[in-house]
Amino acid sequence: MARLVIMGGGVSGHTTATFAKKWLGNDHEVVVVTPNSQWNWIPSNIWVGVGQMQKKDVVFPLAPIYSKAGIDYRQALATEIHPNGKEGSDKPFIMIESTKEGEAGKTEELEYDYLVNATGPKLNFDATPGLGNGKGELGGHTVSVCTADHAVHANLELKQIFEKAKKGERQKILVGTGHGMCTCQGAAFEYIFNIEHEAKKAGVRDMIDIKWISNEAFLGDFGMGGLHMKVGGYAVSSKLFAESLYAERDVEWIIGAHTSKVEDGKIEYELLDGTMHEETFDFAMLIPPFAGVGFKAYDKDGSDITDVLFAPNGFMKVDAKYDAGAYENWKASDWPETYQNPTFDNIFAAGIAFAPPHLISKPMSSPNGTPINPTPPRTGMPAGIIGKAVAHSVCDMIKNGKENAHLHKASMAEMGAACVASAGKGILDGTAAAMTVYPVVPDFEKYPGTGRDTDYTFGEIGLAGHWIKHILHHMFIYKAKLKPGWTLIPE
Amino acid sequence: MKHEEENFAKSDQFNLTMIPGSFARKMRTCKIWQLFRFMVINIKMLIVVSKSH
Repeated sequence: MARLVIMGGGVSGHTTATFAKKWLGNDHEVVVVTPNSQWNWIPSNIWVGVGQMQKKDVVFPLAPIYSKAGIDYRQALATEIHPNGKEGSDKPFIMIESTKEGEAGKTEELEYDYLVNATGPKLNFDATPGLGNGKGELGGHTVSVCTADHAVHANLELKQIFEKAKKGERQKILVGTGHGMCTCQGAAFEYIFNIEHEAKKAGVRDMIDIKWISNEAFLGDFGMGGLHMKVGGYAVSSKLFAESLYAERDVEWIIGAHTSKVEDGKIEYELLDGTMHEETFDFAMLIPPFAGVGFKAYDKDGSDITDVLFAPNGFMKVDAKYDAGAYENWKASDWPETYQNPTFDNIFAAGIAFAPPHLISKPMSSPNGTPINPTPPRTGMPAGIIGKAVAHSVCDMIKNGKENAHLHKASMAEMGAACVASAGKGILDGTAAAMTVYPVVPDFEKYPGTGRDTDYTFGEIGLAGHWIKHILHHMFIYKAKLKPGWTLIPE
Repeated sequence: MKHEEENFAKSDQFNLTMIPGSFARKMRTCKIWQLFRFMVINIKMLIVVSKSH
């Protein structure tokens, strides 16, 4: 009997674990280690952040789902990887520290035959002074929608802003990225237009100035170097698409910005031209940069081999081309296909946890040397697809042996993504920008013009996207709960 | 002044882009048109999903 241990129970980890258990059955063991007791459908945190959903609508407890599936669930934080075992034993293991009520802090060695790192990111609030509280958590000057609890807090703060606006006090809202190396602009993009929509509904839009701040070199970059889509018979850049939306909704923007400091009601930021500026706010939601969760790896003799498994940013090395060099040399083939660690063939990384070979957007920095560019997005659909491919590969290795196994591929250069950014939540009230991009990483050898297939890279605004957003919310929570027919729902 | 022209005057940023007129805005919430678009977008998304696996 082989044991597969999956670190992380988010979109990618949950997908890997549930498919692996389905394919392996009871002949082998599947263990999930995650510090969280609840699964969170993160895209809908946006609606929690504007009070259109409650926390209970976007989370559910993991224990009963894993119990039903026959998955061994450990509510714990994985801290160390020992891929060669320890003195006296060749069996690889990880160290875990319980986060379960009543057992918090209890450590345990958990042996594995195969290991999947699907931890997602560390929300690195402390990378920007004042954005964090100095202990790695969200500080007191801004809000966040990265977790369900953050979103609940964001909504409470937002309601106070609306109340002040109703009393005739002019308010200023700032939404965007809290550092020059952030990703996940899409979440902030969706949040700002939900705020705008709710402000209109509350009758206070005229009393609120809403501004966007981002590390993107141009609006609509989204960490993918922008995209070209067919709109109204034209093939247009996402820059024009995004700028049009912001102008229509009266939302001004600051782009190419590295937020360098956050204080009470004020941020300092550096622009790509090297100039320093300040912006005041009454309410700000700034996305933090992501980093690896900070695993340490040790060899059999206790020596530190963290740099063998992980890139300097803390994400796990996989089968990517990390020495591609300058932007001009980047190719779609630099991107990983199997997500297998090059040193240890029984270790994989899925979702945000893998180290990308380089950015997707063109690298930029200010004359002061400050890098200001979005890092590659790896959330949502790509995270799920990668998780399933990794589950396939590990199951083949377990069933057929490493030599005969077929490693499944899921390169982001051959994978699309669908993104639906809503504004509002009612079925007939509100619109959404529905976008698909294919592939996520542009392939200029295959698609010399724009790097992407413009038949399947498109975007439009309307009720239709809004309905799709509702359906996705219910469909993916249904799937994650492993209800009948869950495998028929695609990632 | 037409609705879509109001924001052009508000800032240089807005002045240099395009803003949808009343017809485009109406189509975004026209239920019959949006039902058609719903089917089209879903088909396109399913193709993208199938190409990605």
